[in-house]
Amino acid sequence: MAVQSTSMEAAGPYDRAKALSAFKFGDSAFYWITRACAISVLLILGGIILSLIAGAWPAMREFGFSFLFTQRWAPANDPPVLGALGPIYGTLVTSVIAMVIAIPVGLGIAIFLTELCPQWARRPIGLAVELLAGIPSIIYGMWGFFVLGPFMANYLQPSLIKVFDGVPVLGSIFAGPPSYLSLFNAALILAIMVLPFITAISVDVFKTVPPVLKEAAYGIGCTTWEVVSNVVIPYTRVGVIGGIMLALGRALGETMAVTFIIGNAFRITGSIFSPGTTISAAIASEFAESDGLHQSGLILLGLLLFILTFLVLSAARLMLMRLEKKAGN
Amino acid sequence: MSEISISTELPAGPIPSMLAQPEGPPKVSVRDLNFYYGQNHALKHINLNLVTNKVTAFIGPSGCGKSTLLRIFNRMYDLYPGQRAEGQVMLDGHNILDAKLDLNLLRARVGMVFQKPTPFPMTIYENIAFGIRLYEKISKSEMDGRVEKALRGAALWNEAKDKLSASGLSLSGGQQQRLCIARTIAVRPEVILFDEPCSALDPISTAKIEELIDELKEDYTIAIVTHNMQQAARVSESTAFMYLGELIEFGPTNKIFTSPTDRRTQDYITGRFG
Repeated sequence: MAVQSTSMEAAGPYDRAKALSAFKFGDSAFYWITRACAISVLLILGGIILSLIAGAWPAMREFGFSFLFTQRWAPANDPPVLGALGPIYGTLVTSVIAMVIAIPVGLGIAIFLTELCPQWARRPIGLAVELLAGIPSIIYGMWGFFVLGPFMANYLQPSLIKVFDGVPVLGSIFAGPPSYLSLFNAALILAIMVLPFITAISVDVFKTVPPVLKEAAYGIGCTTWEVVSNVVIPYTRVGVIGGIMLALGRALGETMAVTFIIGNAFRITGSIFSPGTTISAAIASEFAESDGLHQSGLILLGLLLFILTFLVLSAARLMLMRLEKKAGN
Repeated sequence: MSEISISTELPAGPIPSMLAQPEGPPKVSVRDLNFYYGQNHALKHINLNLVTNKVTAFIGPSGCGKSTLLRIFNRMYDLYPGQRAEGQVMLDGHNILDAKLDLNLLRARVGMVFQKPTPFPMTIYENIAFGIRLYEKISKSEMDGRVEKALRGAALWNEAKDKLSASGLSLSGGQQQRLCIARTIAVRPEVILFDEPCSALDPISTAKIEELIDELKEDYTIAIVTHNMQQAARVSESTAFMYLGELIEFGPTNKIFTSPTDRRTQDYITGRFG
């Protein structure tokens, strides 16, 4: 045994150097492959931005900044009049309403699943939430068109309109007439679609809270609500906000389901029960039959969506940084 | 004097007279307590008293049930389904195992400090003010006073007073543990449970915590679980030795460590097993 080991040591230096040089090649190959993967992301992103700008250039030159503030969308005019205000408004309003609905419900589900739910019910509910994420958006669109839209128009909308009738501000937000196709219905569908993102990510990050930290909070006499709001959510806020941002990103860009039920109207009425449009819905419904300046205008809309999403996500980052500062980190 | 081991065959009921109970008024008295993790019978017929304003140490090898016993005193086991306790644990004459008991109130009266420091994800000030706010509505200046008092009580004031608005997580391990003690005493409990409070700390921090425990017993009744027998000998008046879910021997600390009556106790404290 001892003899064997000395002989190995004697052979060591040569073999070792050879083995190491083989590793060296592997290492550098690995380095370049992973580096190429990382660079390809930048290239693809840059390529998309450039081609969007190139495609949108004619419309940018024609309309300039007035594109952002014009409500009129008349591609058939000669010359065409195109303004993005309607789609921008629709995109923001539907996303905001969707988040207002989806954040509390999604967090509620996550809190119930991790803190309160009896063991036997956890898997079925968790599975249902995951399945919700797996439903193709076209199916949400059809369901929204045939089931949710009529239901809203026949039952919920009339009563809401009646309740808020005559109330300043709210009265005009919830103004009639009820409609199958509306911003609100689209927002509702969006809320259901982004819910699984918020829930799944929140559940995952809630599970990372050390049990002993929760015990410590229970140990000074906190109720479940106090533990969740003061310990679990602050401890996991980065992850939770990340989930919300992912959901918001999807809500801003979601196309198919929204195109089905938003009504594709470029006019801004102020009521969330009236038809509207979003940037992605406008592009989806018109792109196939567009050409020339009209098509360029649609590409410019796409560029705007890109910028809008970028701005929203940066704002979220900033907010997160300020939160961190406030927490004393 | 007498045989102190309690076998599972022992009938339920009053504490056997042969058990050398520490003297003094009991704050907590445990009567024929059994505890189950699902089917697993983890604590068997435990009988003992925690004497008011004294420190009671629980020693024994890992898995003997000492932490389990501690977690019954504030019903922490209630958080986990499948765990249940039978018997009586009287706190000032009221059974805390009563299902109708207000758990939040119980945990305000029976505070707990854990093995690892558990500062909440907030500032040092908020870590303490948070617990107070659960029970009392007081003004900002009053709150400042309470926070300072709690930090002084936990011997942390001098180190923390200039950075009250820093995150609790920015403190060192020993400081974090003292912050957790400050947070616990800020709620003004009557009993404090320490679950191996020094096992994650260096010797200097450990000495500070032990000193602190010595001061705290003037105002509180204390139970401490520890793997460190010197620590048990240093800080406690009574010591309970547990083994495989049973209370083997319970009595004055100096007696347990100098002339234990049970063979297993002697083996454990002399390091022959455990």
